[in-house]
Amino acid sequence: MAVYKKTYRPYEGELTPAWRRFLVIPRYAFEELHRRRFLSMFFLATFLFPLVCALIIYVQHNVSALNLLGVQGGRGLISINVTFFMSLLGWQSMCALFLASFIGPGQVSPDLANNALSLYLARPFSRAEYVLGKMSVLVVLMSLMTWVPGLLCFALEGYLEGWQWMSDNARLAYGTFFGAWVWILLLALLALALSAWVKWKPAAGGLMFGVFFVGSAFGAVVNHVQRTNWGHLFNISYLIGSVWVQLFEGSQKTTSGAVFFRVPVGEELPLGACWAVLGLVCLVCLYMLARKIRGAEVVR
Amino acid sequence: MSDSLVTFANVSRFYGEVLGINKVNLSIPPGITSLVGPNGSGKTTLMNLMTGLIRPTQGEIKVLGIAPDHPERLCTVIGYCAQFDAFPKGLTGHQFLYWFLRMHGMSHEECDRRTAAALERVSMTAAAGRPVAAYSKGMRQRVKLAQAIAHDPQVLVLDEPLNGLDPMARAETIALFREWGQNGRHVIVSSHILHEVDQISDQVILLSQGYVVAEGAIQGVRDEVKEQPMQILVRCNDPGGLAARLFLQDHMVEAKISRDRKGLLLRTTDADRFYLLLNQVILDSGLEVESIAPADDDVNSVYQYLIGEGGTL
Amino acid sequence: MEPVIELDGLEVRFGQRVILKKLNAALTGRSVGLLGPNGAGKSTLINTLLGFHKPSAGTARILGHDVRTHARQVRSLVGYMPENDAYIAAMTGVHMVRLMAELAGLPREHALERAHEAFFYVGLGEVRYRALGTYSLGMKQAAKLAQAIAHGPKLLVLDEPTNGLDPPARARMIQLIQEIRDRGDLHLLLSSHLLHDVEDCCDQVLILKDGNVAAFCNLEEERRANRRFLELETRGEHHGDFLAAVEKLGCETAPGAQGRVKLVMPDGLEVRQLYEIAAGQNVQIRRLNRRRDSLEDIFLKAMEASNGRL
Repeated sequence: MAVYKKTYRPYEGELTPAWRRFLVIPRYAFEELHRRRFLSMFFLATFLFPLVCALIIYVQHNVSALNLLGVQGGRGLISINVTFFMSLLGWQSMCALFLASFIGPGQVSPDLANNALSLYLARPFSRAEYVLGKMSVLVVLMSLMTWVPGLLCFALEGYLEGWQWMSDNARLAYGTFFGAWVWILLLALLALALSAWVKWKPAAGGLMFGVFFVGSAFGAVVNHVQRTNWGHLFNISYLIGSVWVQLFEGSQKTTSGAVFFRVPVGEELPLGACWAVLGLVCLVCLYMLARKIRGAEVVR
Repeated sequence: MSDSLVTFANVSRFYGEVLGINKVNLSIPPGITSLVGPNGSGKTTLMNLMTGLIRPTQGEIKVLGIAPDHPERLCTVIGYCAQFDAFPKGLTGHQFLYWFLRMHGMSHEECDRRTAAALERVSMTAAAGRPVAAYSKGMRQRVKLAQAIAHDPQVLVLDEPLNGLDPMARAETIALFREWGQNGRHVIVSSHILHEVDQISDQVILLSQGYVVAEGAIQGVRDEVKEQPMQILVRCNDPGGLAARLFLQDHMVEAKISRDRKGLLLRTTDADRFYLLLNQVILDSGLEVESIAPADDDVNSVYQYLIGEGGTL
Repeated sequence: MEPVIELDGLEVRFGQRVILKKLNAALTGRSVGLLGPNGAGKSTLINTLLGFHKPSAGTARILGHDVRTHARQVRSLVGYMPENDAYIAAMTGVHMVRLMAELAGLPREHALERAHEAFFYVGLGEVRYRALGTYSLGMKQAAKLAQAIAHGPKLLVLDEPTNGLDPPARARMIQLIQEIRDRGDLHLLLSSHLLHDVEDCCDQVLILKDGNVAAFCNLEEERRANRRFLELETRGEHHGDFLAAVEKLGCETAPGAQGRVKLVMPDGLEVRQLYEIAAGQNVQIRRLNRRRDSLEDIFLKAMEASNGRL
């Protein structure tokens, strides 16, 4: 017979490689998000609109369905063009904003609230890995919501129309992909920065919206008072809209932005300025994160 | 006579259904009194009741004859140093003390003088101009203490005042308490560091789960715990032989030889006879004694006997 | 023996202020205590060893790895128990310790096993499934210790481990620390203001003052030295005569704390002879122990040293 004592044993086993450790944070975050029912339902609900779009594409090419609807031949109902894809992207991006404001605040603030960050950083784990790990949760979910359905619809249309259509309209795919990424990066950084600085989660969520609406209101006021267009630089949806127009159409503009991301005709601003302001916002968010995410506070 | 006492008469305090303290009767004389007990036993409740921050559900409290119903009079005689580490934002150490004193209604020069004196007392004069947010934990603790003594109160109520202080600051603060105790003031301190409680207190109050388990001068408290025989630890070269000699006596209750076979922990109901006997044994048998110490003559042992592990982890 | 922590001209600045001024030390003991008044730089030293601050000059090495160039290796060998609260309120105890163990490099299953083991070891077995926000102070301290040991570090850095604990929890924490120290395969660095704790747990002590090393002493050696100093507490009617008789034998006496008497015995005098006197006069010797320079005296001496530089 043997008697076993419960005692401390040193660890002699193997260690995971460094790159796998970076995945630990997203894995834990996903587990936790999965438990929130409302969030899962919301996420699934956001696939409704792309589903409707795919249905429209299918219906366009299905003669019997067209006959059913009483429209004969040709491009009947809705034309599958830039406007179509841009509005798909616009809708999904708005849903992504909602998602980010639900998920974002809970990422960093629980770690900061009780000083757990010093535990994270006392391990072979850097600040950059921490931020990237948290961002990847948002990025993955938002990607699944924005460019993935967009590209799938594009592929569907291409399959039904043929290779020629696809190579002619490849710009739509680029626009969807890169346009979505600009939005995703901006939102992810903004969400994490707000989560790091604002402790109360509902406030951080509200601020996510606030940044947009207050910005656009302020911009409108500036425009009105100064009788200029430069106020639009404060309006993030405007900036995103302009950038998307450039990505989707280049110099031959036919659209004025997407739904929710309107660029009023005649009030365009130089693209360089738009990109610069977006870049500035990202840098400011990175700076805010760098200030808050550290192992030890230094007060002079 | 009651004007020099802090009295609790059948005081109970409940938070909804949760018990704070129950049927407490105390009469605290001047000098240094220590409140000892596990977390959650009612120490902070007792202190809050004394300072008038909360009211008792039942019973009556009087501090030097003043009831907490008269806060204007009570606050001038009580100085309170809370357990929590929170300060108004944006103030420097000096401002914190100064404005606190102004609220007592003193003139500008008086407040300045007292602020400087209090800061000097806790050795914080150099750092007084910096914001409190920039202080280390020990410095914040000292500013809290300064705030408690600045208006020269008759009764000092201090909740874990030595928390975060380095050894020198601890010694200085203990000296401060001793001085105030000897001047006839009441210094009521709560602490977890039992050997310090032993060193500095005149009387001790033990609390457990909302009840007062024991109170009085430390020596007296130990003598009253009659069910427990005295424990004495003897380190020597032949514990077995010593134990054999001792068991012939009728006052010996228990003897335990320590693991390294160089020590004897024994329990006896008559310590005086044991010590006199020990003198004899050493002379007769040539026993070499390394050290002798009463093992339970202090607050730690009384705590073990009366409260034991009954506190929450 | 290879030093556990080696400081070589280590200097750390915050902006213009120099916090640690060219520290030199080689700490080899099983368990090292770090003492010093507030503002001496203890937390800064610990933060520098963990890599949170960059040294502006000099090097620090932990188990042979430089903290500046090999910060990752250092951190994988170190377990840290911070002084402040450090937990994630919404997670259960096991969940958080498992997360921390995985971040330290343990594979998933091992991390979970060791998280449970760590909780049982520190005595929190019953509450490991409860959310950390509901823990009491003592439990939070023990949980901090659990996350520090879960990944099996070689050096454990404890910052004020008994902060705010009530007496039974303090005794348990000290006992845990002593057990960990006695294992021999884990080194300890203990920073505390309570000299008693450091005396109970540490073999060597490093005392800092104003960013310099004020003293570095080896408690083991101190304990073995000098057997001629005694401290007595007597009771009996002839107390004064006892002292007089003892002095006649050649001892120097001086009053000590709490009514005790400090004695220096001359060479050749045995304790037995003191007992002869006691038996003759019917005096009880209630307390007898060998005094040596206790840590308190060492500390005070170090503080008074004018230069403070070692």
